[in-house]
Amino acid sequence: MKPLRIGSQSWLVLLFSAVVAIIYLPIGVMAVFSVNSGRYQVMPFREFTWNWFGRVFRDDQYVAGLANSIGLAASVSVTATAVAFLCAYSLVNSRFPGRTFVTIMVLAPLAVPLILIGIGLRIYFVSIGFEPSLGLVFAGQVIYVLPLAILNLRNRIAQLPRSHEEAAWALGASRARSLVEIVLPSCRLAIVATLIMTFTFAFDEFVIAYFLTNFSITLPIKIWTSLVTGFDPAINAVGVMVFSFSMALGIVAQLLSMRRTHV
Amino acid sequence: MVTAAPVPAGSARRAPVANLWYGIIPAVALVAGFFAVPIAYIVGLSFSGSEGEGATLSNYFAFFSNDRFTDALLRSMLLATSAVALASVVALPLAWFLAFVVPARRRFLLLFLLIAPFWTSFTIRAFSWQLVLSDSGVIAFWLEKLLGRPVALGFLYSMEASIFGLTLFGIMLITVTVFSVMVTIDRRMLEANQDLGGGSWSGFREIVLPLSVPGWIVGAVLTFIICVGDYAVPTLLGGGFKPVLAQLMLSTLKGTYDLPMAATFAVVLMFVVILAAAPLALIRNQVRMLS
Repeated sequence: MKPLRIGSQSWLVLLFSAVVAIIYLPIGVMAVFSVNSGRYQVMPFREFTWNWFGRVFRDDQYVAGLANSIGLAASVSVTATAVAFLCAYSLVNSRFPGRTFVTIMVLAPLAVPLILIGIGLRIYFVSIGFEPSLGLVFAGQVIYVLPLAILNLRNRIAQLPRSHEEAAWALGASRARSLVEIVLPSCRLAIVATLIMTFTFAFDEFVIAYFLTNFSITLPIKIWTSLVTGFDPAINAVGVMVFSFSMALGIVAQLLSMRRTHV
Repeated sequence: MVTAAPVPAGSARRAPVANLWYGIIPAVALVAGFFAVPIAYIVGLSFSGSEGEGATLSNYFAFFSNDRFTDALLRSMLLATSAVALASVVALPLAWFLAFVVPARRRFLLLFLLIAPFWTSFTIRAFSWQLVLSDSGVIAFWLEKLLGRPVALGFLYSMEASIFGLTLFGIMLITVTVFSVMVTIDRRMLEANQDLGGGSWSGFREIVLPLSVPGWIVGAVLTFIICVGDYAVPTLLGGGFKPVLAQLMLSTLKGTYDLPMAATFAVVLMFVVILAAAPLALIRNQVRMLS
């Protein structure tokens, strides 16, 4: 048999390049405007300046929003990853009635627009006497990232050879102990990747946060308010920083996910 | 003396120590308390009248007899359907390109190049398109230079601009889900097709495309669901003059505080999502294999 030959498909190269160029174009433009001294985001380029970046860090609202977002995303990511790890382990390794139902239930938030998670939590919790708050945003964002964390960890746990755990049991280790001493270390890369992934998603999440707060600010809410209520020339600098930060985290998570298949 | 019972085949997969099923409890409790119960509550609320009498369909009558509301619903669905259709046309060849044309060692790098920008927030990306597409944006500027006269693009703040923004997102998502199925296709089938005189087009159409349907359905359904409920892109690129469902929902919730009406919007949206997710049932077995 001849080896597979796919004819020269230069139009595919062209299509791919065009799509990538289009995806990166506005980000490049944003980067250019972020160091442009002009107050208005119009061409042509005037002078190079780092001023807008400095200005972001002198703006109390951006700083407060950033602090809230980091705290919130860190708690969401740790909670969701821990809960997802236990759940994924049980789903892979235990047999119990209703297992399929439980799988569908914990993955269901993935198949629902974020706005429904937000509106459901807001109407329900306000009706039972809670005020919209960052605590509710925390709950909503955990629900949002939990299915992704479960899928991510389940894939890894399902790859683990059972023999290691079985050897531990044969030597008298309890199931909990083998979980901590064997499964957990074997999954460490996947766990770190999941922590980073859920952190990034929570950090950038806007709709749930917007629905579940009245006066608290997270970074995406502050960005949104700057965008829709008025003109803020520092917004490009914010965009470039958020973009670089999220992308750096994304690269790390992606590399870890790729590496773990060889471990 | 107790002798070990004969071990039935396959029991090695079962837990010899305690069955750790209770590891699901925290996840189930969270999803029940912060997702299932609130959703059930708003479904109930959508059937309640303003006077507090028994179950009523009055909110639904109010919804479907108001042109502004039904237009918003149709607009959301049109937006999502267009984004899925346009994105599929681009994503299928892209996935084929990545899975079969590109050398294996470069595959993931290129895929990554495509995914990376989507790690950042929807909001930032939608905003960055404003800089390019607005009437004083980069495209208008260069067109003006080129043509030597002012150009009014009139593209930003339109339905088309929203569709454009969401299509880019869909291209990324559908390419990824289709690619993940395509890479599992046995290349020998294409070789056999080639030996029998088929070209790469017939290989694509008759072997790869039919086998990729499950990946396409997953990507298309997820894209539809995300787009039909999106709020950021229709606001930043579409403007607010022709609102989509999510925009009406938010203005009802934060503006008029008519909670039963806001709940009704949510239930209508949920119904659309359930209908859209129905094709997933067709490919349930393949999806289980994939995940």
